[in-house]
Amino acid sequence: MTLHDRYQAWQANVENAVAKRAERKSEFVNHSDVPVERLYVPTAAMVDEDSYIKQLGFPGEFPYTRGIQPTMYRGRYWTMRQYAGFGSAEETNTRFRYLLSQGQTGLSTAFDLPTQIGYDADDPFARGEVGKVGVSISSRLDMETLFHKIPLDQVSTSMTINAPASVLLAMYLVVAESQGVPWTRVSGTVQNDILKEYVARGTYIFPPKPSMRLITDIFDFCARDVPNWNTISISGYHIREAGSTAVQEVAFTLSNAIAYVQSAVDAGLAVDDFAPRLSFFFNAHNDFFEEIAKFRAARRMWAHIMKERFGAKNPRSMQLRFHTQTGGSTLTAQQPDNNIVRVTLQALAAVLGGTQSLHTNSRDEALALPTEDSARIALRTQQIIAYESGVADTVDPLGGSYYVESLTNSVEERAWQYIDYIDQLGGAVAAIEQGYMQQEIHKAAYDMQRAIERGDEVVVGVNKFKVDHEVEPDLLRVNPRLGEEQARRLAKLREDRSAAEYTDALEKLRSAAGESANLMPYIVDAVRKYATIGEICNVLRSVFGEYQPPIF
Amino acid sequence: MREGDKVPQPIRVLIAKPGLDGHDRGALVVAQGLRDEGMEVIYTGLRQTPEQIVATAIQEDVACIGLSSLSGAHLALFPEVVRLLREQHADDILVIGGGVVPQEDIALLKEAGVAEVFTPGSTIQRMAEYIRTHIRLTGVNDWPIVATATQRVDHIGVAVKSIAQALPFYTGVLGLRAIHEEEIPDQGVRAVFVPVGDVDIELLEPTRADSPIAKFIDTHGPGVHHIAYAVDDVAAALKAAAAAGCRLIDEKPRPGGQGKLIGFVHPKSTYGALTEFCQRTDTATDVEGGESNGR
Repeated sequence: MTLHDRYQAWQANVENAVAKRAERKSEFVNHSDVPVERLYVPTAAMVDEDSYIKQLGFPGEFPYTRGIQPTMYRGRYWTMRQYAGFGSAEETNTRFRYLLSQGQTGLSTAFDLPTQIGYDADDPFARGEVGKVGVSISSRLDMETLFHKIPLDQVSTSMTINAPASVLLAMYLVVAESQGVPWTRVSGTVQNDILKEYVARGTYIFPPKPSMRLITDIFDFCARDVPNWNTISISGYHIREAGSTAVQEVAFTLSNAIAYVQSAVDAGLAVDDFAPRLSFFFNAHNDFFEEIAKFRAARRMWAHIMKERFGAKNPRSMQLRFHTQTGGSTLTAQQPDNNIVRVTLQALAAVLGGTQSLHTNSRDEALALPTEDSARIALRTQQIIAYESGVADTVDPLGGSYYVESLTNSVEERAWQYIDYIDQLGGAVAAIEQGYMQQEIHKAAYDMQRAIERGDEVVVGVNKFKVDHEVEPDLLRVNPRLGEEQARRLAKLREDRSAAEYTDALEKLRSAAGESANLMPYIVDAVRKYATIGEICNVLRSVFGEYQPPIF
Repeated sequence: MREGDKVPQPIRVLIAKPGLDGHDRGALVVAQGLRDEGMEVIYTGLRQTPEQIVATAIQEDVACIGLSSLSGAHLALFPEVVRLLREQHADDILVIGGGVVPQEDIALLKEAGVAEVFTPGSTIQRMAEYIRTHIRLTGVNDWPIVATATQRVDHIGVAVKSIAQALPFYTGVLGLRAIHEEEIPDQGVRAVFVPVGDVDIELLEPTRADSPIAKFIDTHGPGVHHIAYAVDDVAAALKAAAAAGCRLIDEKPRPGGQGKLIGFVHPKSTYGALTEFCQRTDTATDVEGGESNGR
């Protein structure tokens, strides 16, 4: 009897038992619509050596399913990188230094919405938003305060900034200069992923074409002048937060990535010159094994895309390096301490999936920005996984799990179907302009909401296991006067700086934007001369126009 | 559907994203959910100023605005929408909010005129129910104003088993005086009026077992039966109520107690309270005057 026959016989027996005593559900299906079997048995890759080499291989080797480095966390743990930022540059600087003193190994900067959309803190559009979801940065002065006493040659800094990524990168480089740190010694990441802003996150400024140019300019500039900078963090995180399934998260993210690579190649860049600096950013949601499978599938798919579609030769171009954040939308406002447990499971999935860096959410984030206490527990969660659980001591510990390997294959298979369809639509930019990704995500989000309201999806503490009296914890309050304080600071800056110098720099930027030159050096110069983010972005708005989202 | 009933117009709702926040999953899901609940929903898209939101709400003649912000800007932006609505005399529009809003801010928002705030975990069904039950409280634009405006409460009808037993409570305990008694044979009822200020309490006693009052007492027990509003023109008031979708008991005015013209509206369409319109006629004054003189 073969394994297959014995498996069939076993299933038949169990079916008889199930006929008498039913299982919890008549059908088990995960959120990506993948049926979940009662039991998994070895797949081809586990019994056939050639298939193993082809599908799984070895860590640090193509197709990188099991990890991009040969030793993974036996060498060093993932980077524990907590996203932080609120209020003024001084306050965030204090939180940064606290996190570093607590053993955090990299910084991750959250900017407020005016900064992310290229408005100065005193702009009328900034009303009510200054310092709310991140730190308010209008000029290099704020950036100098933000990194006060933090040596930029010793930390790596990730910045969640997209439409005006060039401006914030320029500010960071100018601060490095003022600290005497050469650009070749700074390291970090700008998110710089505009496509998912159109799809899911909403902090766009310019239309797709000039936005893609700004991104390509950063690729090109950093390849020459800032070699340790990750020039983009192609993000599935927000796509997932907007409601997509795990499969859509992988598919849409890789489709966007394909568009960026194609755009850079079309601009004349050699793929192996910039591709090693591309990085990714994924979500870790609740379905533990599906998430692990998702990370493994994404790694394998990217390796194939880069090797076969773009003809990359450098192995580093084929390695999908990614940051993970636990799922913000899975946090509940009800019984917020339960979120610590959710975050733990999600963080564990990210680690078992081989993430390069990780942000764990705080328990109170469905209510407000995290307090210092909550932020510490979130960091401790990662440290307990790293130092106490033992999961980091071997590479890809779930490789060979019958279930995880099967899920990895089905995530990949379904994601390819989406990518093929998006290719048929004309690629990611076209698919976004037609609203395709947005509608797919919205549909998944709505289905989930309905399932929760029907009680088909259980959310502990929300639609089951509720308590009568919710006690709201102490929350972080952002100084409501900050907008006015920032406005005063800006007024002083505008008085102190040399008008001739900054207007000259802005004019040079304006004419460069009208041509095809790389804009980065012009933006760096404008920042040096104390032009503000709003002034720089307004110059670019006047040349590029603003994005108008499609109505559908 | 009976004649006089009207197909109800769907409730119009504006879902709006004030400020710079780009998180629109909640707004989109709520918009879709309210549509599935039968409402007509307009979604503004991202990055709307309070001014733009109010202008759209007025232009689209909505009954409700749902504001969504997850960026913490709610305290600055939601009250501003309410303020602008007041400024433009459009504060009959119900304003509700949702997003990442701490409890203590909900109290502040309510003080500022935001009717309700739905935080994470709220169901669409609950929001829809809230909108349905609250838009009329704040007045709704498509509810036609009764041509002959209601002036005041004329009387409150109270069903009793026996006027003789009940009356001493009103006269003895409350110290009021009964002024008028009459029997209305076609309604199978005897009525006594007890004035309190310019409102009368009308005690109603059934005179036969199949009369409406007898049935009322069988079903509900004795107690408050109806509220009667004084209007200038019962016929016009009934017509206006019917046009607004109310179910009428009396299609046309008919004679009631004290020689007034009256007409009833079904409690099913008045949220449970049996409603009477009554109009004093010249004859009524004469009859009443005559009786008073005769006492």
